[in-house]
Amino acid sequence: MKRLYFIGIFALLTMTTIFIWSKSYYTEQEEAYVILPVEKGTALIPSEKGVFERSEFANDYATMRDDYKGGRSLDTYYDNRAYHGAPPSIPHPIINELTMGGKSCLKCHENGGYVAKFKAFTPVVPHPEKVNCRQCHVPQKTTGLFKAIHSREFPTPSINNEAFIGAPPVIPHQIQLHENCLACHAGPAAPVEIRVLHPERSNCRQCHVLNNKETTDIGDFIR
Amino acid sequence: MVQTNVDRRSFIKKMAAAAAMTAAATMFPGIIFASEQLENLPKGGNLDWKKGPCRFCGVGCGILVGVENGKAVAVKGDPNSSVNKGLLCVKGYHQTMCIQAKDRLTYALVKKNGTYVKTPINEALDIVANKMKQTIKDHGKDSVAMYTSGQSTIPEGYVASKLMKGAIGTNNLDCNARLCMASAVAGFLTTFGADEPMGCYEDIDHADYFITWGNNMAEMHPVLFSRMLEQKNSRGAKIIDFATRTTRSSMAANKSILFEPQTDLAVANAICYEIINNGWVNKSFVEKHCNFNKGLTNMGYGLEDNFKFNDKPEEINFEEYKKFLEDYTPEKVAKYSKVSVKDIKYLANIYGNPNNKVVSYWCMGMNQHTRGTWINNLVYNIHLLTGKISQPGNGPFSLTGQPSACGTAREVGTFTHKLPHGVVINKKDREMAARIWKVPVERIPSKPTYHATEMFRAVDRGDIKFIWTQVTNPLVSLPKTGRYRPAMQKNSCFVVVSDVFPTPTSDVADVILPAAWHIEKSGMYGNSERRTQQWDKMVEGPGETMPDAWMTIEVAKRMGYGDLFPYSEENHAEEIYNEYRQFHEGAKHGMAPLEVLKKQSGVIWPYVNGKSTQWRFNAKYDPACTNGEDFHFYGKKDGKAIIWQRPYENAPEMPDQEYPFWLNTGRVIEHWHTGSMTRRIPILHRAMPNAYVELHPEDAMKLGIRNGEQVKVTSRRGSCTLPASINERGLPTKGQVFVPFFDESLLINDVTLDAFCPISKEPDYKKCAVKIEKV
Repeated sequence: MKRLYFIGIFALLTMTTIFIWSKSYYTEQEEAYVILPVEKGTALIPSEKGVFERSEFANDYATMRDDYKGGRSLDTYYDNRAYHGAPPSIPHPIINELTMGGKSCLKCHENGGYVAKFKAFTPVVPHPEKVNCRQCHVPQKTTGLFKAIHSREFPTPSINNEAFIGAPPVIPHQIQLHENCLACHAGPAAPVEIRVLHPERSNCRQCHVLNNKETTDIGDFIR
Repeated sequence: MVQTNVDRRSFIKKMAAAAAMTAAATMFPGIIFASEQLENLPKGGNLDWKKGPCRFCGVGCGILVGVENGKAVAVKGDPNSSVNKGLLCVKGYHQTMCIQAKDRLTYALVKKNGTYVKTPINEALDIVANKMKQTIKDHGKDSVAMYTSGQSTIPEGYVASKLMKGAIGTNNLDCNARLCMASAVAGFLTTFGADEPMGCYEDIDHADYFITWGNNMAEMHPVLFSRMLEQKNSRGAKIIDFATRTTRSSMAANKSILFEPQTDLAVANAICYEIINNGWVNKSFVEKHCNFNKGLTNMGYGLEDNFKFNDKPEEINFEEYKKFLEDYTPEKVAKYSKVSVKDIKYLANIYGNPNNKVVSYWCMGMNQHTRGTWINNLVYNIHLLTGKISQPGNGPFSLTGQPSACGTAREVGTFTHKLPHGVVINKKDREMAARIWKVPVERIPSKPTYHATEMFRAVDRGDIKFIWTQVTNPLVSLPKTGRYRPAMQKNSCFVVVSDVFPTPTSDVADVILPAAWHIEKSGMYGNSERRTQQWDKMVEGPGETMPDAWMTIEVAKRMGYGDLFPYSEENHAEEIYNEYRQFHEGAKHGMAPLEVLKKQSGVIWPYVNGKSTQWRFNAKYDPACTNGEDFHFYGKKDGKAIIWQRPYENAPEMPDQEYPFWLNTGRVIEHWHTGSMTRRIPILHRAMPNAYVELHPEDAMKLGIRNGEQVKVTSRRGSCTLPASINERGLPTKGQVFVPFFDESLLINDVTLDAFCPISKEPDYKKCAVKIEKV
């Protein structure tokens, strides 16, 4: 009888322990899933997401030959855009009209490579996570216009943009959706004028800073 | 490698400057030459970015327009906008380029002896005001009409309503949102008694399933679709595309289910049958928060002039509703909907499973429907029966197609039956409008007059003798344009068109007024998720262009109503908004004050005590809930939403021997609405230069039609010859053809039918019978 009593107490204690342990375990689990509110507001520091995205290829880019034929120039780069910063149009035929792009575009544009048919290297997309490609990028099926337009010069950033001699050039363009520097500034498809001499350094924003109103303008600095 | 274009002269100069600076720096440590450094910094990237909403669809993306020397030179997505988080679509990025078009309307044109004469705007406005006054004097108030738009800004819609209903005293005001949103409105009002979605876009971040009802979001609401894809890839959320045509959305979806046109009514009922039959009904929710009603059936299609219909709601109980659904077992419905029993059960299971969070999205597929109000009701039924509503990630969501279909057309109420708050038939609403407008209450007529289609029929009959259209292009967008084009050309009606570009509508105008475009004026829009978005004028409009609101005010002044429109030219948008806000005060629809709108990229209403209400009718989020329960559908007097018994009924015109194909019309990603803006943007025009007719490959083979060949699409009303498109952008089901409607030179609306939903009066552009011939 006495033994039964002890076994009973022991069993009760074990059950309580299991109960308390599992309950606290689940509570803790729940806490881990609390979604923290994201603070909204104007950014003072521009986003650096994506800067390191292609850095695994940086050493390859550094050792690449730099005399490849068929690379893009800055002129052809801008020719393919309605204005500086606009999404480029698709300059080649497309096999499938029905899809939104996605994998079929990324097959070539995720990592680039030489396409013998076009005698060119494939430009690399700086935002491969966005898969509805045809949302922003459209082909040009005709050269005509619906109605004539007043042609207008859209300013493009210059390439001489060091603040003084020897200084690292500033980033003269906005970076939204192209925060990944190496996608356009390194590799065989990069326009030759803006190809970086030291892709292996990959921490681009260490020396090159933005120079536009991407950030909130706090006015001239006065001590 | 990197080329530096420094010539010797500037190099020496720079070196000298650098040497001097170094010398100075050694002598005076800490000295900096700011001007010297700033001079060399590039100017190109240093644009002035101004915030606003996108000009095009109803998603309402926040945009930043880069302005340099008074010209818009770049557009990017506003990263601070919670709608698009910095992303846009191809139309959005290139939108401001349309104002470069050489044929921009920059001066008023008045038709004199058959030719348009350039006229100073003040004289043109005199002509409009005099003609309007004279017509009212000769033929009465109801002989003049205004037809505005879901692209009108809030101030533009407000002054149009004030002029027509408050000053002149006629309800002859309707807008093109009747052609796109009216069924959604009627659906909301019949089920909930309060217009506009209860949820918001943040639902996308929480939902497990997105079910799109006849809605090609990858092309029509691409930014939202990209947000859904992101959730699909990161969280494993699933997209189910339920449609009559295989599109980019179907290709990107986890599952695509195709149905026969019009049978969405039956499938929705079959889903409800399955939910009840399997015991998936959220009983406590339905008992506490729902009533059951039935309405009239066989209500007609509005094909004849002066068609009238009033629904008679009748209360029923759950058992009667259950009995009614017995006609809609998956087995019975599968026979005519061409959706397999398995797929119907699959859909029902997604909605029925209490662990799934489900959002339903739809737009024109359900709204442009001769039973549009019904199908809206039926999808609400599914969400009400399962209690999946008004919670993050759970709810029905009616999308809009125009940037201010909600903000202006629905909230300001530029419909014949509406007032800024409530409806004209309600005495209290008329009194409120009279008080704020400072007009005698008797002046606001209590009877609605013409809805959009009927308005143009009245023009044809000669009942309307003066019509003024603003921000819209009805002679491309109306159904059966073959009747309404000659109608507007008749001498019996004086036509005034305000627009930015010449269109087929301005071609028949007696006076053309040059309007300021989007960024050339200040204004506010309201998007699908109840978000009010404000922007300030960014660039000057060319020539004598004028904001539409100011044109209306100028005409009102000339007609002798100046005291009702005491606004200033430079600041009228803000003054009007402050006056308009009074209509919506309170927890149910309070709108954010101007200071808040100016700071943020849009604010969701109800805006109560400095906070937006993201999920309405849910006591956790909505301070307007007062019944002490978790949910309160306060739009209805007893706080309960209505589950409607709505049957399947045939479309007015079904394919037959003579006309064996369904004709479906719609949009493409590159063009927006009638293309008057997007076709003038080179990159968009070159991507999609003309309309086409999509055929199913088997149908095409039978008719011997190959891709690109000219095909004549003919209905009982008219015909249109277009190039065939097979296996390209979209793939209609067998027995169906699809044509986009943006092309003013290939007018498919000559072919469409002007049948409409008798409750909402919204025409059905998605279904009529045609025959196909190779030319």
